[in-house]
Amino acid sequence: MIAAAIVLVPLAVAVALLLAPRRAVHLPLAVLGVVATLVLALFADGPAGRLDVPWIPTIGAWIALDATGAGGALLRVAALVMLPTVLWAALRVDRHAHRFLAALLATLAGVAGIFLARDLVLFYVFWDLTLLPGLALLGGWGLAHRRAALVKYLMYAVAGSFVMLLALLALRPLSGAAGYRFEELLAATPQLDPLTQAWLFGAFMFAFAVKLPIFPLHAWLVDVNEQNHPSGAADVAGTLYKLGGFGLFAWALPLLPDGATLLAPLGLALGAFTAVYAMAIATRHTHLKRVLAYFSISHMGIVAVGLFSLHLAGQSGAMALLAAQMVTTSGLFLVAGMLHARRGSFELDAFGGLAKAAPAFAAVSLLVLFGGIGVPGLANFPGEFLAVLGAFAASPLAATLAVMAAIGAGAFGVNLFQRLFQGEAKGAPTRDLSPLEVAVLVPIVAATLWLGIAPAANLTAFEAEAAAGLAAAPPPVVLELAEGGAR
Amino acid sequence: MSPDWNDPVAWAVFAPAMALLGALINGLFGRRLREPLPGVLASLAVGGAFVLALIAFFGLLGREAGVAVELWPFLPVAGLDLSIGFVVDALAATFMLVITGVGLAIHVYSIGYMHADDGYARYFALLNLFVAAMLVLVLADSLVLLFIGWEGVGVCSYLLIGFWYRQTANADAGRKAFIVNRIGDAGFLLASFLVAATFGTLTIAEVNAAAGTYAFGAGVLGSIGLLYLVAATGKSAQLPLHVWLPDAMAGPTPVSALIHAATMVTAGVYLIARLSPLYAMTPEASAVVAWVGALTALVAAIAATGQTDVKRVLAYSTVSQLGFMFVAVGAGAYSAAVFHVVTHAFFKGLLFLGSGSVIHAMSGEQDVRRMGGLGKRMRTTGTTALIGTLAIAGVPLLSGFFSKDAILAGAWSSTLLADYGGKALFAVLLATAALTAFYMFRWYYLVFAGGARGDARVHAKVHESPPSMTLPLVVLAVLAVVGGYVGLPAFAFPNAIDPWLAPALAEIHLDHPALWLEWLLVAASVLAAGLGLAAGWWVYERGKGALASRIGAGPLGRAARAGLGFDALYRAAVVGPVEGVAGGLAIGDRDLLDKGIGAGVTSATWLGRLVAVWQSGHVRLYALAMLLGLAAIVVAIAATVANVGGRA
Repeated sequence: MIAAAIVLVPLAVAVALLLAPRRAVHLPLAVLGVVATLVLALFADGPAGRLDVPWIPTIGAWIALDATGAGGALLRVAALVMLPTVLWAALRVDRHAHRFLAALLATLAGVAGIFLARDLVLFYVFWDLTLLPGLALLGGWGLAHRRAALVKYLMYAVAGSFVMLLALLALRPLSGAAGYRFEELLAATPQLDPLTQAWLFGAFMFAFAVKLPIFPLHAWLVDVNEQNHPSGAADVAGTLYKLGGFGLFAWALPLLPDGATLLAPLGLALGAFTAVYAMAIATRHTHLKRVLAYFSISHMGIVAVGLFSLHLAGQSGAMALLAAQMVTTSGLFLVAGMLHARRGSFELDAFGGLAKAAPAFAAVSLLVLFGGIGVPGLANFPGEFLAVLGAFAASPLAATLAVMAAIGAGAFGVNLFQRLFQGEAKGAPTRDLSPLEVAVLVPIVAATLWLGIAPAANLTAFEAEAAAGLAAAPPPVVLELAEGGAR
Repeated sequence: MSPDWNDPVAWAVFAPAMALLGALINGLFGRRLREPLPGVLASLAVGGAFVLALIAFFGLLGREAGVAVELWPFLPVAGLDLSIGFVVDALAATFMLVITGVGLAIHVYSIGYMHADDGYARYFALLNLFVAAMLVLVLADSLVLLFIGWEGVGVCSYLLIGFWYRQTANADAGRKAFIVNRIGDAGFLLASFLVAATFGTLTIAEVNAAAGTYAFGAGVLGSIGLLYLVAATGKSAQLPLHVWLPDAMAGPTPVSALIHAATMVTAGVYLIARLSPLYAMTPEASAVVAWVGALTALVAAIAATGQTDVKRVLAYSTVSQLGFMFVAVGAGAYSAAVFHVVTHAFFKGLLFLGSGSVIHAMSGEQDVRRMGGLGKRMRTTGTTALIGTLAIAGVPLLSGFFSKDAILAGAWSSTLLADYGGKALFAVLLATAALTAFYMFRWYYLVFAGGARGDARVHAKVHESPPSMTLPLVVLAVLAVVGGYVGLPAFAFPNAIDPWLAPALAEIHLDHPALWLEWLLVAASVLAAGLGLAAGWWVYERGKGALASRIGAGPLGRAARAGLGFDALYRAAVVGPVEGVAGGLAIGDRDLLDKGIGAGVTSATWLGRLVAVWQSGHVRLYALAMLLGLAAIVVAIAATVANVGGRA
């Protein structure tokens, strides 16, 4: 029952926010909704964390939810990130703030559905519905050129969804699976002949590559981030919804192992190329949000590299990185919003020397930024390390490219920090963090440290699911690492 | 396995926690504390860690095995089962003593040196954080945890080099250090991936044990050794990644003493010593280690002769001395390398603190051409600096003499390098030793001897530094004198350090020469030191600098001043092209993917627009280059994946 509540509570709160008349209740209501979701997700253990009821028997679709596995672990991180985001949005959004908050809560509900769904049709429904609050945030609160960004986003998303829908519809008739629940599909789809699997996998891969995103399907993200509300809160919602990696991990890779094996080299290459390519471009842009967009695309390249390594450590690491970048990328977007609140601009030239007047702000930003560039001991490192370790076992070349991206990320991080915070102070004097800003950043900082120092619990959850998926496949490289010592 | 807390040696794992606690207190509340409280707190934290290091040291005496302490699981994936876990053994305890002991002296010194600085508490928070990370580095039981410490010290180094971040030059120097080290770290990551793929573990003890089961000289061991060498050249400022260290002098001087002389820069030496059972199995990689060290030692010593900044001389000197240590670990004389780490920490820490005392007295002046005659006005600083100078120059009976000699003997008699020019390495080091005596004489002479040059008003204000600064000088000077007696030449005297370190290091068979030859080698090194000092005297005292300026104006002088031109080379050959490619990609991404496909799909006449975009010349070129590059990567990866599959 808890599993259903995790999805329904934020949805109900979103609706309540739309209807609630008094300003004073908006923020408490939103915070309560997120906290309730987080608490439910934390206690979703054992049978209560699962749900399995028939939905549309004619097509074999079930309301199947599971909050006890990898999806549950990711959801807990997403809900934790949503907490400061709601707080910050309430502070920074002037116009129709309650609707903005409702869109954030709706995103959380949708993301929860994507994470917990154990039926492919249900997954697909959540996948598409979660697009709506994102579009609402962009269309309702975006900047001057939001219309072009919105249309572009919609085109990419619809193209991806359409292709996935075709594959989804073909999957059950072709394989003769009893239904669309994961276990039912898993019993049938891996037996499909490799060529059919490759076509189906290719379709899923296309859809998920759009939403990772990776090269060459990433162009929509940069404009969306640039045109979103300057608080950065909408960008957090967007970051939490970048779940192509999870889609591959939870569905496409385990269900179509032969297709995955055939297309893995392409995925490895695209991922490794994206990692380097986007990082290089990130260093050349001067608009902070575009910079962060490319920076996060580079991470998604590493996620892809880990997934397509078809390696236990690689896939577990990819999910750990997905979770970690939710924290660090979101944290950086919130920091960007706080920077905008001080200078009214995202152009890097507007900043410089802020550390003098705002030392605490500088310190926190540096911590989150270093978490993002994969400094060991902070959030992104465990996932990044394992993702590329797995990739190395599959292709040393792909791993080398990914490591080059890590060098680039280092240069990127210290360059950005210098342009924002070091040097002589530019422009009007600024202020350090307000108590409310501190409250917004505390969960981000705590999670950045926690995921960096104690990632084991999440990794165990990811590994269990990755192992189940990889067990269905006979790819040659899997588990080689574990046996390597026997020589 | 739960740790045995009844064993006092195990308490050493709380040393990093202690330093971390100090960092947290100063970082969170330091700005509300009044000077000198942050400095005192930080010193207490390091002092506590020093006590734990002493307990570990005495607890380990007479014991063979180290003590392992596992704290909590870290990466329990794919059979790696990595924990946050520490091993306290002789090697770790030795480094702990240096880090916390010399660290304590430098913390105390900083209380006076950083007086009235805006960032007083921030400084001590970072210095404590550095100590914590460095202790994690040397205590780590796995290569992943070692890497956490490795990058942790790098981050602290970056922040402390750019400590006075409002000046662009300082922030730039910090950035340069971070980026160059990241290049080295790429080697660390790839090496670790290869280790995991080869041995199925990243726990250091297991890696070392597994390496021992491979054939002597196995190719994969060589590859691992070379990749870790890349990491070591970054952290320990060896060729070709040494360029960051001279610039790192932009940081406060005690930072240069602690991080960029005594401890962090020796991490590369530590790494190779820690993996000595692996390196001992691969003569090829060991030979590269040794030759990188020898060439670095020579090149940096030449550069040191041309520097005019009181700290840059010492920075190049550090690079050069680290080269000596690399020769030692390359030759398999691991214990000699660690010995030199220890003595170098004493005398180089001393020399840096001495120059800090000078800079303090000279109102911030760092150019040796405007110094001179300071020894008379600053007795303690001058005398201790002289001791440091003689110790590093290799004057007999001082600490540097014994440790340098151990390295020279190791290079001469190493069986690991027998086929790779061990005798030639000896010759290069001998020449470098002479150069070392020369440039250090020059340094001492220009700063402390002769008459005062430069601004008379600055010189009039010169005074000895306060006791909180001179006391650490005296302590380090005493250690620079007596520190060498733990490692007397083993062929004729009792030697304490070799048997102490032996359980933690691999043993290489040394081809000991006849006793008369051993003595002859010692005599050669004494002669080299004497020649260097005499040449310095000849050029600077006798020639009154006229000879010096003639040499300085020549091509060799210009090259030495420019550090032999590495910075200019890298700017032209690496930084420029990389920035150019990144800029090209950014334009291509905008014009092709964004305006082309991106805007194309949203436009009604998208086919027409796509064609129009395609037809503009440079877009076509980018697209072609991008697609060709991508295709090449796809093909290459597909090929390697197939290969891996075929192997398994």
